[in-house]
Amino acid sequence: MHRRDFLQAGLGASIAVIGCTPPDTIPKPVTAQTPPPVPKAEPPAPTPAKITYFAKFGIDAAMLSQTLTAALSKGGDYADVFIQHKVSRVMALEDGEVNRAYASVELGAGVRVVKGDQTGYAYTEDLTLDALTNAAKTAAAIADGPATPGPQSFRADPGPAGAFPDRYRLVRPWEEVKPAEKLPLLTSLNERTYKVDNRIKKVSLNLSDEYGAVLIADSLGRLVEDLQPMTYLGLSCVAEDKGQRQQNGYAVAGRQGFDFYNDERMGRLVREAVARTTILFEAAQPPAGEMQVVMAAGASGILLHEAMGHGMEADFNRKNISIYSDKIGKPVANSAVTIIDDGTRMGDRGAINVDDEGNVAQKTTLVEKGILATYLHDSISAKHYKLQTTGSGRRESYKFAPLPRMRSTYMANGPSKKEEIIASVKKGIYCSNFTNGQVKIGAGDFTFYVKNGYLIEDGKLTRPITDVNIIGNGPKVLEKVDMVADDLAFDEGGWNCGKDGQSVPVSLGMPTVRVAQITVGGKKA
Amino acid sequence: MSALLDQAKQVVALAKKKGAADARATAYSSREVELTWRDGKVEKVSEATTRGASVALYVEGRYSSVSTSDLRPEALEKFLEESISMAKTLAKDPYRTLPDPKMYEGRAQLDLALFDPKYETVTADLRRKVAKEIEDGARSVKGAESILSVEAGVSDTKSQSATATSNGFEGEREDTQFWLSGSVSCKDKDGRRPEEYDVMGGHFFSELGSASELGKRASERTIGTLGAAKLKSDVFPLVIENRAGGRMLRNLLGALTGRALQQKQSFLEGKVGKEIASKLLTLTDDPHLAKGLASRLYDTDGFATKKRVVIEKGVLKLFYIDDYYAKKMKVNPTTGMTTNLVLSGGKKNLTELMKDIKNGILVTGFLGGNSNSTTGAFSAGIQGYHIVNGTRAEPIAEMNISGNLSDFWKKLTAVGSDPWVYSSTRTPTLVFDGIQIAGL
Repeated sequence: MHRRDFLQAGLGASIAVIGCTPPDTIPKPVTAQTPPPVPKAEPPAPTPAKITYFAKFGIDAAMLSQTLTAALSKGGDYADVFIQHKVSRVMALEDGEVNRAYASVELGAGVRVVKGDQTGYAYTEDLTLDALTNAAKTAAAIADGPATPGPQSFRADPGPAGAFPDRYRLVRPWEEVKPAEKLPLLTSLNERTYKVDNRIKKVSLNLSDEYGAVLIADSLGRLVEDLQPMTYLGLSCVAEDKGQRQQNGYAVAGRQGFDFYNDERMGRLVREAVARTTILFEAAQPPAGEMQVVMAAGASGILLHEAMGHGMEADFNRKNISIYSDKIGKPVANSAVTIIDDGTRMGDRGAINVDDEGNVAQKTTLVEKGILATYLHDSISAKHYKLQTTGSGRRESYKFAPLPRMRSTYMANGPSKKEEIIASVKKGIYCSNFTNGQVKIGAGDFTFYVKNGYLIEDGKLTRPITDVNIIGNGPKVLEKVDMVADDLAFDEGGWNCGKDGQSVPVSLGMPTVRVAQITVGGKKA
Repeated sequence: MSALLDQAKQVVALAKKKGAADARATAYSSREVELTWRDGKVEKVSEATTRGASVALYVEGRYSSVSTSDLRPEALEKFLEESISMAKTLAKDPYRTLPDPKMYEGRAQLDLALFDPKYETVTADLRRKVAKEIEDGARSVKGAESILSVEAGVSDTKSQSATATSNGFEGEREDTQFWLSGSVSCKDKDGRRPEEYDVMGGHFFSELGSASELGKRASERTIGTLGAAKLKSDVFPLVIENRAGGRMLRNLLGALTGRALQQKQSFLEGKVGKEIASKLLTLTDDPHLAKGLASRLYDTDGFATKKRVVIEKGVLKLFYIDDYYAKKMKVNPTTGMTTNLVLSGGKKNLTELMKDIKNGILVTGFLGGNSNSTTGAFSAGIQGYHIVNGTRAEPIAEMNISGNLSDFWKKLTAVGSDPWVYSSTRTPTLVFDGIQIAGL
């Protein structure tokens, strides 16, 4: 409905409800059997598709063929079926005990029919032929003409050899990890956190993992399955000092297995959570008004996500309602700025092998030295613009039709040094951690909420700051990004991006940059 | 007994058979249809009947909560076995038990009027007709030549759920909801393409207001923002439009949960019986409001709901404490769930309330922002209008509000007579004095 898309750190979000299927029925991930991608000059010969994961749910090629035939029974141009099985589990610690667990199983199928730029969509939790063809007939009603033929057979596309990426390589996949193995991880993190600082009074931990797969089959006869793991671990703590209380935390996330939680990462989780909390005893809201702002390397990518990422999703531009509509090939940022949206980063929370339309996710340069190079496309917008999709068609689940979405959004390195950027600011603020952001796509106004940062006075970081919102206008702010450092870093936290009621996992990266002028909320100047 | 209640009871029985000492199960099903219309034609139709079940398991003094949409009998059975074995690996939690069945008693015998018997008469054709009316309304206003695109949304849901526990709770609810929305994008002189919207909804289709008027309001909202700019940072009187006010109220409610209290994350700890807001603030939680969007007879714990005063003339009366955190803190529970939040109204509407303000800001919407329940600090983006000599003047955007909730609510100087009824947070126009706004 209203386009105010937002981004949220998983930390502090409510705990998802969770579930499990018996380990003996879970096959090994397809990704483990697939060799890494090898570039090929020639397109591979079609490989007949084999349904691996979803065979145990009774799905076969004949059913998919009949479903797609029903989907095109009113003359749609294109149809696809998206089948999903996702098992999510959360184990949580509160007051020293791992005494709650949540699990959820999502199993269902969505059928989409496209006619021109119109979409019909229906879904079902029942994976029988009857239920699938009924959903297909419901979706088919978007069109109103004689039937177009459905596919009689399917080819693996992208093919299993060579073309299929392998971006989530898990040593310990979650379906093999017993609940009892996860407990000591949480209890030891709890103990370590209390030991770091005696002002810590409460610790809570959430460990979530997901496994399962998606299958996409379409009316062009393409079929692909992808196994999609995910994990997230968040540590939140409350500290007390001289009658004051502060709460903050840290999180790590990725398309990773149990092996992700090594000593080094766990050490950082504890250290960062405590440091980010206890520094708040010295922190205050900064003065209000326009000022110079230095965005620290890492999670500051939230600025890109909000200031331009959403506005460059092609659906808004196709509909002519983005502030970036009609801006391809034109300057939209300072020439120091190159911005990338990337689905290919190994094990990243925003990584995907194929998007939810079955297309290989790519690394897409959105802005090249200040010039808008391309939008983020799904198949509908790609067709509209007569371009290749960027593999950005994503959806929250089988309950939703795909939309162009970001994956991992970051800025390329520039020539400056972090120290030089901070030293250049006479009066301003330095922002390093964030909780959430939001944007209005058409007006271009966006915000992000700063949880940790510092005042900058005469080129030096001085007093810590917290709890302040920053607001700006996308193109105006990108023009004012006038210094970019050479220290690109990625945030490892668990970001969720919301758009049209759909939430998808994304990630963020940024080198240190200076924004010459932006409005900082705050106290009386 | 409905099929869903039967199903919930079967899940409870199965959970007990598989080794749970106690269980609470909810079975639900919902039909959801959503039409999106843009610029003269259908853009998207989504239609489905969805279902699933969720279960809270109490196993050997341990707890887990699970849900599934895979209701094939063998799959459900395996899922429960697996979930129970997962629960058994956890630490015991003495506070995780089903509520005392006494808390289930006294359920109001009321018809909350949440179900439209004419649900079936809302057809695909009718949805399209209403969507077109929204668009036609939007395009009929003065200044419509600046419109780039109009989107209309028409959606309806019919939801049913039933809950049963192993200690005797049974509950069923059924409701219908219909929502209409209009979003209008316009082109501004500087290339910006602001989009604003209006929305309305309720349990009964025939009681929705005019679709055409909704479209007009959406257009007027967008056209009104053209040329928006920021003002110089200053301290202003602030008028918050009824539709936007819920946001500030929910910031306050975030600090009123049992969990926030028990986890030392509430700046309102110890404030029951004390003044936390202006005397003008009286906030009631009314679950029995006929046709209310959040009306209900029982809460998530199965407690019989009742009307409660949350804040009376600025004095905090209660925290929202569910069964679990009540047991953990060894206090009496209230409820873990907010329902319809009603602010006792004043006598003036928005226009009248603005009359007394010489130089202020009218907030029509917030953008982003957050609040800190532990300290009360908050900050958020705002948009709206400058108020000059008692009337709405030029549009403003790209500004921030910041402060602390404990000061903020004490600065409430007037409450309007015009609650926003298309939300469970039914805020009227709210007026505050001396609020820090950041801009230029």
